[in-house]
Amino acid sequence: MRKLLLVSFLVYTIGYSQNKQVLYDFSGLPQTLLLNPGAEINNKFYVGLPLLSQVSIQGGFTGFSVYDIFADDGVDINDKIRAAINDFGKSEFIGVNQQLDVFNAGFRLKNNNYLSFGYYQELDLLAKIPRDLVDLFYDGNTDINRAYSIRKLAARAELLGVLHLGLSKKINNKWNIGARAKIYSSVFNLNSKLNRGSFFTEEGSANIYRQHLDNVSFLLQTSGVFLDANQDFDASYIKSKLLFGGNLGLGLDVGFTYHLKKQWLITGSVLDIGFINNSKNVESYRVRGDYEAEGFQLNFDPNNPEEYWNDLKEEFDNSIVLDTLYTKYISFRPVKINGAVSYSFGRQYFDDCRYFNTEQPYLNKVGFQLFSTLGTVHSYLAATLFFERRFSKHLQTKITYTIDPYSFSNLGLGLSTQLGAFNAYLVVDNLLNLNNLYAAKSTSFQVGINFIFKNKN
Amino acid sequence: MKPLKFIALLILILLVQSCTKNVDFDQIDDANIQTEYLITLVHLNLDAPKFLNEINEEIIFTTDVIQASIQDDSEPYLEKIEFTVITENSFDRNFALNIIFFNVLGEPVYILQPTINIIPNSIETTTIIEIPQEDVGVIYDTRYFGFSIEMSASTDGSTISIDDPSILDLKSSAKLYFNFR
Repeated sequence: MRKLLLVSFLVYTIGYSQNKQVLYDFSGLPQTLLLNPGAEINNKFYVGLPLLSQVSIQGGFTGFSVYDIFADDGVDINDKIRAAINDFGKSEFIGVNQQLDVFNAGFRLKNNNYLSFGYYQELDLLAKIPRDLVDLFYDGNTDINRAYSIRKLAARAELLGVLHLGLSKKINNKWNIGARAKIYSSVFNLNSKLNRGSFFTEEGSANIYRQHLDNVSFLLQTSGVFLDANQDFDASYIKSKLLFGGNLGLGLDVGFTYHLKKQWLITGSVLDIGFINNSKNVESYRVRGDYEAEGFQLNFDPNNPEEYWNDLKEEFDNSIVLDTLYTKYISFRPVKINGAVSYSFGRQYFDDCRYFNTEQPYLNKVGFQLFSTLGTVHSYLAATLFFERRFSKHLQTKITYTIDPYSFSNLGLGLSTQLGAFNAYLVVDNLLNLNNLYAAKSTSFQVGINFIFKNKN
Repeated sequence: MKPLKFIALLILILLVQSCTKNVDFDQIDDANIQTEYLITLVHLNLDAPKFLNEINEEIIFTTDVIQASIQDDSEPYLEKIEFTVITENSFDRNFALNIIFFNVLGEPVYILQPTINIIPNSIETTTIIEIPQEDVGVIYDTRYFGFSIEMSASTDGSTISIDDPSILDLKSSAKLYFNFR
């Protein structure tokens, strides 16, 4: 069973990140509006191919890779597992984020503002695993006086649909700002955070050892996980919940573009400032208390036989209290923050032999991006250097180098093609691991097709 | 090289080269996780009155029982149980401690061997007892853990006095050896 869990863990949980460092501010793609509602968009209108305007899958595990364990290298797998566990940090995290644009479109208003809207589905899973629990699982508890803490144990999982409407507005020649309102409809939500408590064994006085559950406080909140007996978790159920039959919430994205100088650009955004009110199918569990045991003290008193086991259970139940809660709760979406500084250079692009293309005056752009996600379960920071190159009006590329918790050498590539109104893009990262995907601790890709109609002039 | 050709070549290289190096998921069949868990068990601290009845006659044989059932999915992985028993006896008597496992019908299914022999006036003594792999499954059939103490008669015909300050002290723990294959 443990091995099955191990394999499932390794194969299916390759990663977590919500950083779309290649797609961010790339090539004027409409999807950049989802990463920065204040991005500058030059088209007249666009419509994404339904269900295919953005398919995004990202994943990562910061601990070790599939290849670390299953490499066909003649090394005993048990030695490789041991080595991986020795390298395990104080806590590592795993997760998957998947997004599917169901529909997505936008157009320029008469007042030159740009309106965009759409609906996407998102699955987000994250678990933060403390080393203490891995050691307890792998080595047992024979290390006397070592406290195995659950303080770093945290998890979240949610499946939701998001309806959004955004507006990008040009204030003046320097500033472009934007905002996007979102309505969330959650199919299920699971949250466990701010846990604490530890288990430890010490030398006892009445017995050889005394064992403790110390200052335990664990909370697992769920909605839409435990359903009524007559309710099946099937496709029709999921569809109804995605389409605003689930627990509802509100969110906001804000962003800006600022022309610092002619060739210098600063952009930034804050995404998913929002919450979901979990009021349907709520079932949460809270465990609290302290307990210590030195075992059963046998009295050998036939006149007063004791129910040692029941007494111990009763004492445990009174000390470590498990409450089942049905009260609604608020869950917050992990807030994503993007920021970038870029410098454009290179000869001005000639659309043909006669005219300057005034939309994209430079062929090259280099810059620096920062991404951070802030959540109650987990937060992290990623830094990216990028180079963007317009080869022709049909092809643009972006190459990124990212340092994040998964890797110090994440090379990404984005390609965007435009043939008439037809636009297709592909974004992948961790190129250095393309020759061996199993060695990647994280991977992500986004792919999509749009129809983009530009101004005739 | 023109940009389009360069990009096409780059994509070709990425597509043509192998995306994975050799991995062997069948190795999981060779994986095993050997884990040891330590649990605290019974302890006792018996003084002279525990070995005397109402009229201060010696109780030679005394018993106690813990009713408990161990039911979980760990049975296929439990390889061995090792008990550590630490005894200290200031009585001038020998004690023999037997631990017997009984099933739900009250029938004995296993006797922990060897008997723990606690010699007179002994200082702290450690005894290790093991339930080997071939017998370890009985723990899951056990509903009652019986403990019996047999006190030997004195060699000089004397009896224990109720004021005797002697103590029979016993501490114990168990180490469970799992092998998750």
